[in-house]
Amino acid sequence: MRTRWLATLILPSLAFAQAPSTVKPPDLSGVWSVKGSPATRYLSWSFSKDEPPMTPWAEERFKLTKPSFGPRAVEDSNDPVNPTTLSAVGCFPPGMPRLYLQPFPLEIIQTPGRVIMLFEFSHFVRQIYTDGRKHNTDLGPTWLGDAIGHWDGDTLVVDTIGFNDKTWVDRAGHPHSTDMHLTERFRRVDDKTLTDDITIEDPKAYTKPWGGQITFALHPTWNVMEMVCEDNVNFDQFLKNEAKSKK
Amino acid sequence: MRSNIVRNAAKLVAGLSGLLLISISLSAHHGQAGYNTTETVTVNGTVSDFQFVNPHSIVSLDVKDDKGEKQSWQGELTSPNHLIRAGWTATSLKPGDQVTMAGFRAKSGANSMWITKISVNGDEMKMGAGN
Repeated sequence: MRTRWLATLILPSLAFAQAPSTVKPPDLSGVWSVKGSPATRYLSWSFSKDEPPMTPWAEERFKLTKPSFGPRAVEDSNDPVNPTTLSAVGCFPPGMPRLYLQPFPLEIIQTPGRVIMLFEFSHFVRQIYTDGRKHNTDLGPTWLGDAIGHWDGDTLVVDTIGFNDKTWVDRAGHPHSTDMHLTERFRRVDDKTLTDDITIEDPKAYTKPWGGQITFALHPTWNVMEMVCEDNVNFDQFLKNEAKSKK
Repeated sequence: MRSNIVRNAAKLVAGLSGLLLISISLSAHHGQAGYNTTETVTVNGTVSDFQFVNPHSIVSLDVKDDKGEKQSWQGELTSPNHLIRAGWTATSLKPGDQVTMAGFRAKSGANSMWITKISVNGDEMKMGAGN
């Protein structure tokens, strides 16, 4: 009788405790690209159709940005990735989350303890550790930040901190500080569709969290191909030669 | 001495003119801010060059104007990766091919456009996504 009572009390608890390790997380592996629609045209330059609520600190920096894309696009852009002015260097890493807005696919490779993102744009590699480790706060700030993830049912929750402040949040020129905290929730809503709900928190730059949802489409026949941003230099030289030849 | 100054001044003016031309072309480099996206122009011509390069592929055309005189036109496409996924190869356009291209002309008025539609020897090519 006593044994049965103990079993009644303990076994369900054990089953509950073991449940997370026995549930196999969905596989997000594959080549994905952002799926646009007329309603989400803003994904060409930002994560939300509404202007994010900037602090005076961010407003000041935002005014200095001259983007190549979005409603403030100009011909003499100082975009750190895709500038249009002759003297601008360009091709600095877009950083996160802007990398998603560069119009090239990414491949997700899911392994036990780690989800790897291979971005076609300049071949950036993002590693999201899902082995239970904590953030490594001893590292200095980086372009892509320090990403750790865990599974919440069928959703991969990714938490990223440790960014430098050299990148724009998006292609529209919105700034961020080194305090930026990125939270993403990835869910494979069907065989061919993945969604990522992005939340950007940065009290120094924004008065409240903002973000949006990106929908990715699976491309089973695609590979991640070579795409080197620095080829822009060759392109500039080509245009320069063209201009000279037409003088 | 004076002639040197004049020569150098002439070189400077020539250099600045060159820079101006270069700036006009480079302004078309990323995004579509350099193009008039409210109006579409169409030109027919013969391919003189095709650059299948990042960040954008470039089509160069010899086009005859109303007076029968040759005009050089340049059309900008998306990156080779997007074009490859749409079925293109590096030899999809060859010098001598007959091309009709339509798109947004450069705001500067240069013979340059962002291509939105292109046919090669009568066959319409699928456009790749991305800018």
